[in-house]
Amino acid sequence: MYFVLFSVLACLLTCHCVVENGEKDENHCGFLKQWLEYTSVSVEISNKGFHREVVNTVELSPDVLSGVRVLLVHRWPNGIYIDPYQLASLRDHSDWQILLDSAIDLEVPAHKTSGFVTYLYPTLDEQTPNLLKVTIPIHGRYHEPSFVGKTSTSVEIQTPELLLRSKKCTQLNNFEPHTVVDAPCTVDNSSTCPWIKIQHQQGRGHVSLQFPVGDGSLMKPVCGGTLLVTMICCAALSKLMWKHQIV
Amino acid sequence: MEKLISKLTEKHVLFTASFAIRLALVAYGDYQDRTMAVKFTDIDYHVFTDAARFITKGESPYNRSTYRYTPLLAWMLTPNIYLNMVFGKILFIVCDVLSGLLIYRILRLRGLSSESARRVCSLWLLNPLPMGVSSRGNAESILAALVLGTLLCMEGRRLMWAAMLYGLSVHMKIYPITYALPIVLTLRTPGTTEGKDNQGRRWRRFIGFCGGFLNRELFLFASVAGGVFCILTSFFYYMYGWEFLHETYLYHLTRRDIRHNFSPYFYMLYLTADSRWSQWLGLAAFLPQLILLLVASWAFHRDLAFCCFLHTAIFVSFNKVCTSQYFLWYLCLLPLVIPHLSLSIKQGVGLLLLWFAGQGIWLCPAYFLEFEGYNTFLLIWLAGLLFLIVNCFILIQVISHYKPTHTPKRPKVE
Repeated sequence: MYFVLFSVLACLLTCHCVVENGEKDENHCGFLKQWLEYTSVSVEISNKGFHREVVNTVELSPDVLSGVRVLLVHRWPNGIYIDPYQLASLRDHSDWQILLDSAIDLEVPAHKTSGFVTYLYPTLDEQTPNLLKVTIPIHGRYHEPSFVGKTSTSVEIQTPELLLRSKKCTQLNNFEPHTVVDAPCTVDNSSTCPWIKIQHQQGRGHVSLQFPVGDGSLMKPVCGGTLLVTMICCAALSKLMWKHQIV
Repeated sequence: MEKLISKLTEKHVLFTASFAIRLALVAYGDYQDRTMAVKFTDIDYHVFTDAARFITKGESPYNRSTYRYTPLLAWMLTPNIYLNMVFGKILFIVCDVLSGLLIYRILRLRGLSSESARRVCSLWLLNPLPMGVSSRGNAESILAALVLGTLLCMEGRRLMWAAMLYGLSVHMKIYPITYALPIVLTLRTPGTTEGKDNQGRRWRRFIGFCGGFLNRELFLFASVAGGVFCILTSFFYYMYGWEFLHETYLYHLTRRDIRHNFSPYFYMLYLTADSRWSQWLGLAAFLPQLILLLVASWAFHRDLAFCCFLHTAIFVSFNKVCTSQYFLWYLCLLPLVIPHLSLSIKQGVGLLLLWFAGQGIWLCPAYFLEFEGYNTFLLIWLAGLLFLIVNCFILIQVISHYKPTHTPKRPKVE
């Protein structure tokens, strides 16, 4: 009889612990859901010319929440590229790490390549800050020359997707309007985790970059002029060399 | 002033000082890399080091994107990984000073006095351009040393060594292949029918001309140089396969860099990159280079150093892609030419300033395109053409004022 009483008590205690953890989890998830309402991300471009910097500003809730991981997913167009070797050399001085989804050809023109995706993991302290600023160096590719008189072409950089996850909240089924997506857990891409993708009320914005392009309508005069000058130089030099030859 | 110059150009002082200055630059470069945002070390040095790192892990150096050199270079730089990152730079500055020594030896063999030879080679040893290039980690000095070594051995008629060094230099970079033309013309037996029997039948002279190429020296040179090149190529092909051939040679032969560079053909190639005329235009761009190289080989093969200088200058100026790195290829041969130029110091400095001005005029619109985003393509194109004209003018002055070492018969100048 005592044995039965003891087993029942043990059972009840275990159930109570599980329920309490579940409640804790639920509490944490509820807190996280409220916390997410204060998040936003914006993008600006600095510098001019073919070498720019994309400054991502992520605003998080002023409430203190620990254990939150942030991931910025950029879907880049084919008009720009990121130099992985430059990123590697910046690694020691930057507070973020980046994962590229494919190898990048640094020299190919824009119309001969496609866009790519990057996963950016800011290095955060245990206490999540309420403002994150991350600067990524990008470079413009050469574009096809314009045959309609345009002097530059436009490249659009979308605002990145902001993904969040918390170690303490594992039940991600109640975060409407935000969706849950799978993405690499960390920069070494060894596993994927569910992340909460923040849906912004104002929708995803974009910024436009302008890159100069060649004037295709000048093809004939440029070809003609180049070949004429090179042939004249060739003829002049050949004549002189023949005249001054050493026999 | 004279006394100071003679003191500075005393052999021991000159070579020691030039090595010490380069070493100091390497040390400064290390400091700048560690402390400032703008790095001293060239990006190429990191490419070499990354490729060497792949080799130490037993992988192909071509895993490093934009590594477009022989695996031999990455192999030579493996001490960068095992010992210290600075090993490669020390190797490059040693080759740089060695190039200066080779220039000195060639000048002495060509009849210059020791003091004049030292003064001339101080133009290379105390020149900030090669100093900067080597200490920043570019490998151009290795090739300069190989080419100068080949020329020294040719001047001293040590054909075996010349052939080995030549084969090695062609393996490292393709452009010395153009020297094959004047070398072959130098080594052939001078035709007995030349100049003498002008009434002889044309075909007999032609046969005689061709027969001049069948001699022991030429055969020896061709087989040793060809052998060295083939052995190295086969070995690395066996190790790294098609990628080695493509990245080391084919890429450079078919390279169509449409991004802005000093070449006069840059804008033409950019605008026509996707048109059906692209291949024909590429060929049309190659013709002036080919014609000039053939004419230069024939006209000046008797003075090999001058011929090689002209070859390289023409090759670089008329090439479809031209970056400032290429200038070193002919600048290392310029000290061999200078003692025989009848230009005054004023004229020489004037030509030098003109050369720099030509580059400056190109760099201006290029800067505004790349760093400010203005559409200056047309200006860059015109500046490229102007730079070609400037280079041709300088070459014309050099050729017109060149007095060769021996006094061979020259045709009457009208």
